[in-house]
This record gives sequence, C-alpha cells and structure tokens, in this order.
Amino acid sequence: MTSDPTATLISVIVPVGERKTPLAELYADYKAGLQLSGARFELIFVLDGPHPEYESALLQLIACGEPVSVVALTRYFGEATALMIGFEHARGGIILTLPAYLQVEGREIGKLIAALDEADIAIGYREPRASSWFQSLRRKTFHGLLQYVTRLHFHDLGCGARALKRRVLEEIHLYGDQERFLPVLAERQGFRVAEVAVRQSNLDRHRQIYRPRKYLRGFLDIFNVFFLVRFTKRPLRFFGMIGVATLSVGMIELLYLVVDRIFFHSPLADRPALILASLLIVLGVQIFALGLLGELVIFTHAGGSKDYQVDRVIQYPRALLADRPRAATVAADEQAEQS
Amino acid sequence: MEGSRLLPKLSVIVPFYNEEDSIDPMYRAIVGAVEPLHVPFEMVFVDDGSRDSTAVRGEEIARHDPRVRFIKFRRNYGQTAAMAAGIEYAGGEILITMDGDLQNDPADIERFLAKMAEGYDIVVGWRHRRQDKLLSRKIPSKIANWLIGRVTGVHIRDNGCSLKAFRGSLIKNIPLYSEMHRFIPAMAWIAGPRIAEIKVRHHARQFGKSKYGLSRVYKVLLDLMVIKTITSFTSRPLLWFSLLCLPLTLIGSAALIGGLVAQFGGAISLTLAGSGIIFLMGAVTLMASGTLGELIYKLGDMRPEDFARLTKRTTAASPS
Repeated sequence: MTSDPTATLISVIVPVGERKTPLAELYADYKAGLQLSGARFELIFVLDGPHPEYESALLQLIACGEPVSVVALTRYFGEATALMIGFEHARGGIILTLPAYLQVEGREIGKLIAALDEADIAIGYREPRASSWFQSLRRKTFHGLLQYVTRLHFHDLGCGARALKRRVLEEIHLYGDQERFLPVLAERQGFRVAEVAVRQSNLDRHRQIYRPRKYLRGFLDIFNVFFLVRFTKRPLRFFGMIGVATLSVGMIELLYLVVDRIFFHSPLADRPALILASLLIVLGVQIFALGLLGELVIFTHAGGSKDYQVDRVIQYPRALLADRPRAATVAADEQAEQS
Repeated sequence: MEGSRLLPKLSVIVPFYNEEDSIDPMYRAIVGAVEPLHVPFEMVFVDDGSRDSTAVRGEEIARHDPRVRFIKFRRNYGQTAAMAAGIEYAGGEILITMDGDLQNDPADIERFLAKMAEGYDIVVGWRHRRQDKLLSRKIPSKIANWLIGRVTGVHIRDNGCSLKAFRGSLIKNIPLYSEMHRFIPAMAWIAGPRIAEIKVRHHARQFGKSKYGLSRVYKVLLDLMVIKTITSFTSRPLLWFSLLCLPLTLIGSAALIGGLVAQFGGAISLTLAGSGIIFLMGAVTLMASGTLGELIYKLGDMRPEDFARLTKRTTAASPS
C-alpha cells in the first residue's frame, strides 16, 4: 500500500436516484471535502433512470474541465446496480460512494478515507442524528433485527457515504437495492469493516415518510441476507432440520390416530386430522429433499465456491533470496498484491 | 525433465490459529525431521486469522526459508478451511497435514512416507497413547469414530488425528467444506482409496489452549448425516429420490384404494382418499426433485468416473 495520499486516485461514485440536491450545491460541497483530503479524485455520476436536467448540468461541469464523468442508465435499476456500473468506470484504488443528496457534510469525507488505513471498508453513520422518535424506532428495529440475524452490529446502514478499497468491490456483487448490505457482505468476505461517525448535513433533516411497501422490502431484505449469511453453505443443516421437525410432527400425529383406531376404536377414516398428518409428512419429506438438492448443488460445484478468503500468500523465491534480500521483499509484496 | 526436479515431492501442511509460541518450534521440528530424508519438500503454513503474533512470526519464517509458503486468511474460517487452503496451495505429490499445536510429532513423517511408498493413497495417524482429557476429549472421540465407521463403512480408529498423508492428485479433487476435515478419509471414500493406519506419537499440549470440546459432537453428528447422504446420493440422485418416494407411493395408493373401497361398504371416506392423494402428490414432486437433481449433477463438475480415475492404477504392456 502506498502511504502517500496524493499518489492514490480516489474514484467517487454518486448514484443519482429520486432524491437529489441541486448539482451546483452538491458538487461544490463534495469537491471542497475531497480537496481537503489532498488526494487526486474523479467523480462518476450514475444516472439511475432519466434525469435530463441533472444530466445537462453535469455535461456543463464536464465542459468546464471538472473531473466528472457521467453514466446514464435507461431506466431505474436500483442504487446497488448503479454502484456496480459506476465501479466499472472507476480507475482509483480507493472508491468512495456518496449519495446524490447532501446526507452528510462534505468535509467529513476525509475521515472516511483516513479510516481505510485500518480497514478495508469504512461506512459512515450520522452522528448526532436528528430524527423523530418514530424514525429512530424504525431504525433501531431494522438494525436490531439485522444484528439478530447476522450477529453484526451496525448503527446506520442507510448512510450512503462509504469508502472502500478497490478489491472489496471487485469481490462483491450487489444488485437492486442491496447497497445497504454492502458492509454485511464485505464482513462475510473477511474484509475489515470500520464505522465512522460523520456529521449529518442540515439538508438531510427532513422527515421521510416510508410507504408500507418499503417496510415489506426491508423485511424481505433481512430475510434474504439471513439465508445468504447463514445457510448458503449448509442447506441440509437448515432445510434438513425444518424438514425432519415437520415430518416428526406429522408422524406423531399419525401414530396417535392409528393407536386411537386400534385400541379405542374411533374410526380413522373419517377424521380430518388424518389429512393434516399426511400433509405434514409429505411437506417434511419435500423440505428435506430441497435441502438435499441444495447440498447437491454445492457438492457438485465445490470447486467454485470456497469457504475461505486468502488475504496474502507469502513465499520468497529462492533465486532472489540468495543475494538480494531487498529485491526479494519487493517481489513478495507484488505477489501478495496480486493474490 | 529438468523442471520437474524443482517441484517438491512432499508438502507439509500446517494450519495455525493463535499459536505464536508453537509456530517456531513446529517449523524447526519439521525441518529437522524431513531434511535428513533427502526428499524435495515444501511447507505450507496457513494462518487462520490469528489475533496474536502468529502471522508476524510466520512471515518471518517465510522470509528466511524459500521452502515455506505462508498463507494468511483474512479472518478466522476454521480448521477445515485452513486445511483446504493448504491442500489447494500445496504443490507436492504427497501431502501431509498436521496440527500446529505441537501435539503431532513431525518425526513420524518418515513412517508416513514409507507407508505411502507401499502404494497407499491415504495414511491416517492413530494417536496411540493419546495425551488428552478422558471425559471431554477421549470418550466423545471414541463414540464419534465408532459412529463414523458404522455410517460410512470406513473403519478408522482415529478420524480426529490431524496427522495424515494423502496422494495430492486424490485429495485435491475431494470437496472439503464445513467441518469435514475430520472426515477426509470418509469423504475420500467415494474415490475408493487404499487406506492404511499407523500409530503416531502424541504429545500433551505445551502452549496455548485447546480449541475443541464437547460441543462439537452435535455438529459432527449432523455432518456425518450429510456425508452419508451425499456419498450415497450424489452419483445417482434420481434413484435415491425414487427410493424416497416409494413408501409415499405405497401409503398413498393404499389409502386411496382404501377410501374408495370403503364406499362399497356403505360409508364414504373422503378423508382417507384425500390423504392418499396427498401422499401420491408428494411422491410426484419427489420424482420431479430427483429429475432436477440429475440435471444439477449433469451440469456440475463431479462425476463418478472422475473419482474412479483418481485412484486407478494402470499397468501397460511392456513394449516388445
């Protein structure tokens, strides 16, 4: 890693969605913040759907010689998709993601970049945070649920200001609106995640009203992450357990019915409970079979899905070691970078 | 073949997890044991995300010895993952795995090599006079070994011993995941290897503390079930699913017929016929799953003939 901050290029990806601050104000704020950090930077605006006014304003910026590029998508694909596409155009070793509206103050950007000395990905959380009791309840419920599921605690996954080393995004594939779970997935890949307190921008302090659909989406997202984190490697452990449990309940019920018929002469064939018992048994077998299929997928593709992530491989070539230890160190470092 | 002489014949794979006191003595012991054998060898050390100075010391060793390949994990992934990584990065014809806590003795490597030279594909160590606690380690392990033997049909007295030798071409093609390092021989059984067992020395722990305990037994049992199912199921999923749906079909048909025949007796039994139909439907979906399984299997990269190839031995007619 080069320690000289001016030598690294920082690529800033700004996905432009529904919520946006006028470009002049946004750009001035971000630019000031980036210049404070002293590094070279480029901004990549990804227009997620048609935003004609924004686009023409951006084109003006480009005409003025600002380090800005624009990627326009034909329709709304979701913020995570926009980020991934923006990343394809990023040339920097450090990637910053910033929201298209002033969520945090631009001069806080430097803190995020500085945090990368110790971590692979730094995410901001707004502190102090202005919000109503309802908003903070909503936020706490979401993060509490997520913590229960993933055993990871985050303060503010809704914050769009993040700094990442390039290799993080090279390994993680996001789509739709999974951008909030970027730190969760990064953690899962073995990257070090840091949380940095950043000051909330004044413009962010208005009350956001969520539609019911958004709540449902949030819940399903957590469910999705739950599966991803816990059970993609061991489907039979999960499905097998549920399947066997269902099967056992069905079996016990059936047994009870049979015993009841034989010893107490209550007619078996007319009891609706029989239908329930057979449903449970069949369902249990099917769930178990699903787990088996999952296990089969993993088994037959075991070569492609590894259980571990290697940070570095260190081996010093014999020829270099004999007379030039200094050169050997460099070679080994290069090897480490590649791996 | 000039180039092949540089390739190591033997790779010694050692995973380390928080073993800062053991890594140096371990390295010296391996070098001391293997160097006199005059076999080209390498050491693959895997740091499983240690939080102490294991990684620093490992890098230091690698800096001074080109035979050491040091692999650093991003975080702790567990012993199976460490073994799997070691196996993946090892280049030797024969791979020897051992624990990093000095409980295995590198002096045993010589006997493992001799046994491998006899033509075995896997040689498993058996901790003859095991230096561990009786109640929390030895007894659970006895039970586990017995169960593994019963279930997989691979009778090994000590599956948990990390000191094992493998033919590289074989073990590199056996999928390892979860906590299966203790079942490597059982997993490898699908390829039909020749397995031998030899007694090894076992030392009491000198540094650090043990990372295993009784709580593992539950996971072991679950893994065992998975392995049994996988090994018997993977090569012919359709057949396996057909067997699974046989009882469902039988019960379903019997109930359906029973329900319909009851009509002649006067009483109409919709429930019985209904549950019969449910069972039959279950059987049909199981058959569909079996077909899906067959498809997955066809698209995957594990095939029984590949496993057969791993252990085959060819003797060609000598040219006249």
